[in-house]
Amino acid sequence: MKHLPKHLRPRWRYLAVGIEAWPDAEIGRRAFQRALWYAAGNLLGDAGSADAGVKLLSFSFSGGAGEAVVRVRRGHVAEARAAIGCVSEVDGDPVGIRVRGISGTVRACEERYMGRAAGSSTQRDVAFAGAERPAVVRGDACDVRTESGYVGAAAFDIE
Amino acid sequence: MYEAVHASPDGDATVARQATTAARYGYDGIVVRTRDALAGSGGDAATPAADAEAVADEYGIDVVDAVEIDVDGPTAASGAVGNGRSEHTVVCVVGGDDRLNRYAVEEPRVDVLARPNAGSGGFNHVLARAARDNGVHVEFDLGPVLRRTGGGRVRALADLRKLREIVTYYDAPYVVSANAASHLELRAPREVVAVAAEAGFDPEWVREGLRAWGRIADRNRERRSGDFMEPGVRRGRYETER
Repeated sequence: MKHLPKHLRPRWRYLAVGIEAWPDAEIGRRAFQRALWYAAGNLLGDAGSADAGVKLLSFSFSGGAGEAVVRVRRGHVAEARAAIGCVSEVDGDPVGIRVRGISGTVRACEERYMGRAAGSSTQRDVAFAGAERPAVVRGDACDVRTESGYVGAAAFDIE
Repeated sequence: MYEAVHASPDGDATVARQATTAARYGYDGIVVRTRDALAGSGGDAATPAADAEAVADEYGIDVVDAVEIDVDGPTAASGAVGNGRSEHTVVCVVGGDDRLNRYAVEEPRVDVLARPNAGSGGFNHVLARAARDNGVHVEFDLGPVLRRTGGGRVRALADLRKLREIVTYYDAPYVVSANAASHLELRAPREVVAVAAEAGFDPEWVREGLRAWGRIADRNRERRSGDFMEPGVRRGRYETER
């Protein structure tokens, strides 16, 4: 179909979203998009989520950290931000999520807010709570494996 | 703006991890509501206790030690409040049952009534008036709104709305929190405000509720400092330490 004249095209805003999870979490693009749609549908209702038009444009995730670009209709950024804040788990894996910033173009969004993930993660043993335990270290963050699952620690705790 | 968090052993992240995440998200401070998470409050060897000031220096964010009293009845709560008051900066009582809610708002030594709607507990005009007169802050817990779905979330939203109507009518003090048990459950202030705004709260009102934690901490720190005699009376410059 012939594309719309410029003044009739919808205007968009692009949200840079940072994602965090436990190191063993496997989060795929489809699962994240589904979580986003469900969060928007549940919080804003069908009409509200159609208005916001939340769509995942790019997504990357590995080793417990990731980032995404989410497209939102201009003027509905506050609603979209609320919906994104309500994504608490993806496929049963709890996630921490945060809107890093908003841009008017995908390019500005990527240049300003993306690619600043805290490096790659390494696996090593750390001294935590009086014992040597396996942990996944990523920058300042350090997820320690204990008997009852992972515990989030920081460099401060393992020195 | 401040956020009140749970930390290991009560939650899945240590105080330091919560602090670094909160600092990145733009908070001015965190209130650690777990009794054993900070040193000087009886953390044993199995649970890593961090020194609040050391964490605060490391991450450039205020760390307030608090205690959350979660007991079965007012009698037990009364004893725990007496002990907690002298040891911690902020004292919260977990409500969720009518008698406990009633006890917490009528006790001036309590700073915050946490999660008043969690269990079978209700909140009404009598409690709101008592909370205002005794300066007890009522907590608006946005945790269920952020993390639950379906009927549970609808009930939580309905309870929050009712609580908001009562609290604003009587102008009772309040605090707002996402009640995060780990760094993954923590949300940046703008997200918390956006979610609350969708739930019908006024954004500035919510920000005020997040700042209220900091005000409680400041007031109590001043009261616990050696210079404080009673409200309005401080040790002057001619007074010497004996």
